Amino acid sequence: MSDPLDALEKSISTLRRAIRDASAAGDTERASELRAQLRRAERAWDALLDADEPAPAPPRPAPEAAPAARGAQLPAREHVHRALMLLGTPAAPKLIVGVHEAFFPGELSASKLSSLRRDEERSYRSSPGARPYYLPPALAHDLLTPVRALVTISTWTLEQRIIGPHSPRVDFLTGAIRIAEAVHTAAQSAGNGPSPEALRLLWRFAVNIPDAMPKSASGHESALDPEQVIEAARAELDVHADADRAVRAEASRRARKSLSDDQQLFGAPSQGVTYLRARA
Amino acid sequence: MKAPVDDRLAALRGSAKRRPYNARSLAALENNPRCTLRALLDASGSDKAAIAEHAGYPSPFGQSAFAFARGNAFEAMVKDNGCAELLRVLRETLKLTLPEVAYLDLNDVGGDGSNETRRDRTAEVLLQAAQGTGDGTLFDHPMLYLEVGGQEAFLEPDLVAFRIDGRFYIVEIKSFPIIDGQADPAQVRSATTQACAYVIALRALLEEAGIGPEAVSDTVVLVAPKDFTNRPTAAFVDARKQVSALTRQLARLERISDLVDLLPEGLTFDLDIDKDDKRPRRPAEELAEALEQVPATYRPDCLNHCEMAYYCRARARAEASLDVLGPAVREQLGGIDTVTMALGLARGQLTPTADQSDMAAALRHAARLRAELTGEVGGAA
Repeated sequence: MSDPLDALEKSISTLRRAIRDASAAGDTERASELRAQLRRAERAWDALLDADEPAPAPPRPAPEAAPAARGAQLPAREHVHRALMLLGTPAAPKLIVGVHEAFFPGELSASKLSSLRRDEERSYRSSPGARPYYLPPALAHDLLTPVRALVTISTWTLEQRIIGPHSPRVDFLTGAIRIAEAVHTAAQSAGNGPSPEALRLLWRFAVNIPDAMPKSASGHESALDPEQVIEAARAELDVHADADRAVRAEASRRARKSLSDDQQLFGAPSQGVTYLRARA
Repeated sequence: MKAPVDDRLAALRGSAKRRPYNARSLAALENNPRCTLRALLDASGSDKAAIAEHAGYPSPFGQSAFAFARGNAFEAMVKDNGCAELLRVLRETLKLTLPEVAYLDLNDVGGDGSNETRRDRTAEVLLQAAQGTGDGTLFDHPMLYLEVGGQEAFLEPDLVAFRIDGRFYIVEIKSFPIIDGQADPAQVRSATTQACAYVIALRALLEEAGIGPEAVSDTVVLVAPKDFTNRPTAAFVDARKQVSALTRQLARLERISDLVDLLPEGLTFDLDIDKDDKRPRRPAEELAEALEQVPATYRPDCLNHCEMAYYCRARARAEASLDVLGPAVREQLGGIDTVTMALGLARGQLTPTADQSDMAAALRHAARLRAELTGEVGGAA
């Protein structure tokens, strides 16, 4: 891996933290400014990575054209990475595809994702650390085994990648906030505003959050207010956050102690189940 | 001296592998408890679909691939994104409070999807919840266990919800719509009967830990698409009557030996499946003869839930039994068993016995009215 990539990654994660702090403090102006910076950094990162690859894939490869070619896998990986970065939480393939279609160009199908998951682990095991990031599954808080249906990014902390009983809801609410923010940013930008897919995605989240929908009886999809969604999601998030954080922190401590590096990424083997349970 | 019941049941099944009870076959206990044939086939764990097919009445049974996919897709949609849709409807119906969102996936245990492991894990987490030491609210696909007539049955509800006041609710996710608060009664009924088996199994599990049956609500939560949309809504279905009926039927299962004792020695429904080409080697006529020795009670709604229904219907028709016409007609004509007898009495060709005389008078009256009407219509034409 080259040094500029490392540097970029560092600045990306610093930016992300700053954005989180800014949005937690309610400073939306600073947050959106930072987000623009982050996007620039990520674009640069993408460009660098493509340059590093011996066979850079075209941005829109014909899916059937060369399934054997290694390069054809690359875009799907990156699409997933980008969608997950936007969400900031472990996500199911369906949601990843939904986010991708709402905010990013290019094609990504759920079927591509399932082969991707297998390839990630194989690639990691053949030469660990050769790629700047991997897309491992989330880990169950009790047995630390992989949660099949959820994809994460290896650069996230263990806490972020662990799924406790409250985590599905917490991640849903966090995802809702991130999507609402993205919709908000798109609405503010000079472009065409948020895509219909993005609004639909936000709507699907908002209807399932108390008080996130516009009050008026004649409320239409377009009347959806991203800021109201963010506010409502935050309100419910506050209820669950502590319980969830405690479970995640405890589980990740346990994982660091009992699991090897690659197990911390791809999960404890399932034959360890009886052992772990007997100990509990 | 006849062989013990279990051996006789095994003999009935023959060489085939035992089919365990499932929610569906348990539900059938409640649907048509009087049917001896179904009781024997289920108790012996015979493959009803294969038997019906070999007897010449293949059931178009088993769900269509489309209905199956639709059901799964709807369930997946409801449970997507941390059960987002489901939480919304349960917050509306069960009045779940905001903090009650903890979700435990019991579809497998750390990649181990075997029934036994899942059953143990389910028992562990559900008991923790019941005793107030766990923090689960939504239990996705728990694996419940029930002993039915000495045989094990694994039951898998779509979801069990636990409310903070200490009650479990069985949640059934179905893809038939609830339109204007109304759903197809037959579908609702079959869904609730299935759920009854879960209620009973869950109560049995809690009872082992000394927790009373009131911890499991006998009101079932039905989650289904609302109107013509794909968005879920939920409704309470009162299953009290069905739960107690099924409980009674399960208790009566012990009496399967009474039924078995009535059978001729050496009776079997064995298909003698060929190991290589998987085709039954037993002559179909021989199987049909064996089936005919067992009384069956056909009802039109058997078509909804029993693989043998087409066979039984054909048999009931051949016997000109009133069963074919459904319970409404049957009840009207109490004491009369066949269509031939009903027609004979109506035309006055048969002499009614003492307890048939009222019915015979009614039938003759009906026949007279019909004759007048058809005569009039004929005259006018």
